[in-house]
Amino acid sequence: MRRILLVAKRDYLATVRTKAFLIGLVVAPLLFGSGLLAIALMKAKPDLEDRHVAIVDRTGVAGSAIIEAGAAKSAKDLFDKTSGKQTRPRYLFEAVPPDNHDPEGQRLALSDRVRHHELYAFLELGPGALEPAPPSGSKIPPANRVTVYSNASALDDAQTWFDGPINSGIQRLRLARLGVDPSHFDELLSSISVERLNLVARDEKTGQIQKAHKKSEAESFIAPFTLMMLLGMIVLVGSSPMLAAVTNDKQERIVEMLLGLATPFELMTGKVLAAVGVSLTSSAFYVIGGTLALTGMGMADLVPLALLPWFYVYLVADVIMLCALASALGAACNTPQEAQQLAIVLVAPVVIPYMVMMNVIQHPAGILATVVSLFPPFAPMLMLLRQALPGGVPAWQPWVALAGILAWTPLVVWVAARIYRVGILMQGKPPKIAELVRWAIRG
Amino acid sequence: MDAVEIAHVTKTFDAVTAVDDLSLIVPEGSVYGFIGPNGSGKTTTMRMIASILYPDRGSVRVFGRQMLGARSEQIGYLPEERGLYRKMTVRSVLEFYGELRGGRKVTAEVDAWLERLGLADWAGRKVETLSKGMSQRVQFIAAVIPAPRLLILDEPFSGLDPVSADAIRGAVLDLRRRGATVILSTHDMNLAESFCDRIFMIFRGKKVLDGTLASIQDQFANDTIRVSTAAPLPVLAELPGVEKINDLGQVQELRMARGCDPQEVLAVLVARSRPTAFSIVKPSLHDIFVRIAGPTAGEVKVA
Repeated sequence: MRRILLVAKRDYLATVRTKAFLIGLVVAPLLFGSGLLAIALMKAKPDLEDRHVAIVDRTGVAGSAIIEAGAAKSAKDLFDKTSGKQTRPRYLFEAVPPDNHDPEGQRLALSDRVRHHELYAFLELGPGALEPAPPSGSKIPPANRVTVYSNASALDDAQTWFDGPINSGIQRLRLARLGVDPSHFDELLSSISVERLNLVARDEKTGQIQKAHKKSEAESFIAPFTLMMLLGMIVLVGSSPMLAAVTNDKQERIVEMLLGLATPFELMTGKVLAAVGVSLTSSAFYVIGGTLALTGMGMADLVPLALLPWFYVYLVADVIMLCALASALGAACNTPQEAQQLAIVLVAPVVIPYMVMMNVIQHPAGILATVVSLFPPFAPMLMLLRQALPGGVPAWQPWVALAGILAWTPLVVWVAARIYRVGILMQGKPPKIAELVRWAIRG
Repeated sequence: MDAVEIAHVTKTFDAVTAVDDLSLIVPEGSVYGFIGPNGSGKTTTMRMIASILYPDRGSVRVFGRQMLGARSEQIGYLPEERGLYRKMTVRSVLEFYGELRGGRKVTAEVDAWLERLGLADWAGRKVETLSKGMSQRVQFIAAVIPAPRLLILDEPFSGLDPVSADAIRGAVLDLRRRGATVILSTHDMNLAESFCDRIFMIFRGKKVLDGTLASIQDQFANDTIRVSTAAPLPVLAELPGVEKINDLGQVQELRMARGCDPQEVLAVLVARSRPTAFSIVKPSLHDIFVRIAGPTAGEVKVA
């Protein structure tokens, strides 16, 4: 144990004293944060250029109704209600008479106008567009279709902007056909605003029933997202130097000197402990820094204090798992360059949770989310994410995940130690996967 | 008590048998020289004594105890491949190594050794600023702090300049005087002859020589004549009963066939030229080494 601690102390100090560590401490969150910043900037600086939209109306009546509804919606949305600033672009409509001889040619001509930025989009209403929709499941006949043609990305929210005016315009015409007095249209078609709240709970201290809070974007997305990103980032920052450090010891011929003084297991464990120490150091920096920043901004409520113990349990487990694996792979390679090619294997337990993150956020109680968050290599990040989401997880799940992690991590360390022991003194051609497996089994 | 007892040890790496049924006893207080061609099993044997490798079969005991992977503060090991953390200072790297082995602070010993090997002024400098000779001396210090009972040195003098070699040789002898047992491997046969009490030669994983220099030489007959003549080398050609001529420059060694009479050789030589020296000597360790491991070596007899 004494030797393990000595190795850990040396490696810890050797890491935290480097410029690379200090720079990484600052740069990593900047890189991760720059994505969020870009989103915020895009929201703050929206595109306000006027958008010209052409309408080809083959119904003969719906075009003007849609133009009227569109102009009304555009005027209503144009300015932010509180600040009075223009936050959305103005939509300007023009009616284009339909060319019934060459509809394809007309579509091409209008598309070219969109390409040349004369138009933002064009709408085409089929002759039967006023007909009621067929029963769900059956196809809409081509003549009844309403189509929006544009160059915008499928994710652009302007794509759905037209749905309102189109529906509103056509519904008004249908109501008029039924003989409804036009003065009642606004009343009939006014949309109901639905409030989205969290659950009601009883205050444990006072015994009173608390009011439910309004669901906020921050609560349902930003806080869990940040917590998981932070965990992944600290784990990567703490464990990624391990691979190069082990091969470096080997390449610089330090390792045999050390093996004369400590067993391979003591060396590896010391190195892993050092990495845990490095991760705890950087996490303290981020957690304290983040808490102070949020408190300063009056958003102390967003700090998930109750999850911090879990955060640290997951952090330590993930770092141990990745570092043990890194030291085994590092021992099997001769140069840091060779080791770098294996880095992809190591980042998988962090990158795969990032990849399935959106799915888990959208359906946190779904089968996929539950299964992947109980799978030990991904459990630290994904279970933490699910615990942080509003609604949380059934109480047994984090404990089952933890049990899995507690069984899995020592297994990884044991296998890694066996590969490390054989690999660390090997020189020459790096081993194949089959050889690594044999070392792990035979020791 | 014997410092090291190796009994019927075999170690294989995949298809290669690095050490084959080896038995060896290193008495306490001796300086044991390990010789043998590259790849013959010297380093593997030393690593097994230092408990870095485990034997596949047989046992290795150090001071009567089977190590089974444990590390002991009694063993100092200087591997052939030796490096130091380049970014650490000389003092901190030595304190780290010393504390790792000894389990206690070793500041005083570090200072004494740095002083002794002329590195006191470099204690606060980073390892990467040292010359090769200096870092070799630092590596040696790392192996002897705290003072070990058994010191294992794998090629300790290879690549050393004469000043560093002398300093380290003096330090090893000093440790030995204080009771340490020393095992060292070398390719320098003169050093092995002059420095070691006992010599062990391993060839293709098997022990082929083991004993004092005299006892090893006794295994080979007095079949070597050392001559020096004023005449050029061709006068030595086709002397009766001479199997091989080893030209050492100023002196030539002649190896005689079994049963050959040196007096006959001398008579022919005198007839051909004026020899300035003629002596019958025991074969040198170098000669014995080449006879066993050289390209013309016959079937090796296992010792």
